[in-house]
Amino acid sequence: MDTIFGNLNIWFVMAQVLGVITIIFEFASYQIKDKPKYFRTTGIGSFFWLTMFFSIGMATGMATQISLMVAASYSTVRNLVFWRIFSKNTPQSKEFGLNFLLVMIGVALVAGTLAVINSPPEVRWLHILGMIAALSFVIGQYLPGVHYVRITVTIYAIVVLVTQTPVNILYGDFRWNIMGMAIEAAKIISVIVFYVRYSKNPKQSSLQFAKP
Amino acid sequence: MFQLISDGGCDFTKEEAQKYNVDIIPFYVSFDQEAFMKEGVDISKDEYFKRLATEKNLFPTTSQPNPQDYMDIYKPHLDAGKDILSLTISSKLSGTYSSATMAADMMKEDYPDRTIVVIDSLTCAVGEGLVLREIIKMRDNGYSLEKTAELAQEIIKTTRVYFSLDTLEYLKKGGRVGPTTALVGGLLGLRPVLHLVDGAVEQLDSVPGRKRVLQLMHEGIVETLQDETENIEICIGHILREEEAAEFKKNIEVALNIKIDTPLTEIGVTIGTHAGPGALAIAYCKKYDKLD
Repeated sequence: MDTIFGNLNIWFVMAQVLGVITIIFEFASYQIKDKPKYFRTTGIGSFFWLTMFFSIGMATGMATQISLMVAASYSTVRNLVFWRIFSKNTPQSKEFGLNFLLVMIGVALVAGTLAVINSPPEVRWLHILGMIAALSFVIGQYLPGVHYVRITVTIYAIVVLVTQTPVNILYGDFRWNIMGMAIEAAKIISVIVFYVRYSKNPKQSSLQFAKP
Repeated sequence: MFQLISDGGCDFTKEEAQKYNVDIIPFYVSFDQEAFMKEGVDISKDEYFKRLATEKNLFPTTSQPNPQDYMDIYKPHLDAGKDILSLTISSKLSGTYSSATMAADMMKEDYPDRTIVVIDSLTCAVGEGLVLREIIKMRDNGYSLEKTAELAQEIIKTTRVYFSLDTLEYLKKGGRVGPTTALVGGLLGLRPVLHLVDGAVEQLDSVPGRKRVLQLMHEGIVETLQDETENIEICIGHILREEEAAEFKKNIEVALNIKIDTPLTEIGVTIGTHAGPGALAIAYCKKYDKLD
């Protein structure tokens, strides 16, 4: 069946459902202050994101989705490892987490650098911008407190929206990827909602001391 | 009236110990793992921390008092017909509680009519000091040993202690954080905030920048204690940061509209060796008469 959504087969419908589930988890994760719960929620969101790409691949051909699936797998593994690390909260787990973070940054740097090298010179700076945004987000996730991750995810989501979908100024055309837009927009809206809620309770310190 | 005994973890000065009639059993410290010195007897805290701050390759070790140290202190009081309440640093941080208990068990054989109560404070430094100060008040107000011990356990349940560290260097030396954590934390200027949970040290958070960590501690303390000012005692401690700690104390007093009677305390070697110079600590607990 041809519709504005393309070839409407069962895999494509499933991809939309998985996309909506991803949005729910991504939105929910930025309402959570507790680090382990945040990583668990966003990790589950990343997993559904991965399955969404898989479903799209099944619907439209896997070749176009491989790189996205790799990125989603990377995100899922990173979030779930961070979830375990922050849940344990021991010096050993933190040390492992930091080494893991550095490896993740290294992998992202290599992949990003290759993408930059292989991109047309006129849009190379945009690839660099994307790489910096992605790396900042990964580091922001690990940093303490509630703010860094929200600031860096907002920058990352804006960069994705501007450079990939829907505007796609990388190559000057227009991609009408509703689900991709919605997922990134959900993160930005969630951060805004969080800060609206946060501003209603501005006196709450970020260091939580126990009552005597 | 019973005799009060505490290990050096309470961070009382000699003058305070004398004034409040508390026998302090010091910890041992060594710079070379061979010659052990008694804290506050053979080496002052100031001297110890100044060496720690200036000699970067130095990593001293600390050791708990042994059962014989306790027996030597217990004996004259038992001979004088006194019962004893012995307070120790958290058993999760040191074997002092074990030494004190072992000594008490041995002394009971020779003094079957005397009572020795050993209490694990499940805290340390300024936290242990606060518990001791409440115990002193109870003793001086004529409470029995049994009643004091019972209330001390209740006070311990309400005792909270938080430390802000100026560097991760000493935690790294003590093996409490890994080399990558120390390196990256140092590069980011992170100041860990530690607290005691059920007697064990845990990290509450890390905050970038000294000024920021003090500001957040101030805000957190004020927010937590603003409705409790009538019921609590507070103590602030430091390592080689007297002026900063005094200002922190003054700001808390102004914000909570209270007067903190407990003097500023210099943190001792047991905690200080791992926390390092520049550490600042705050402890609070419920007053004994609010729990009675």
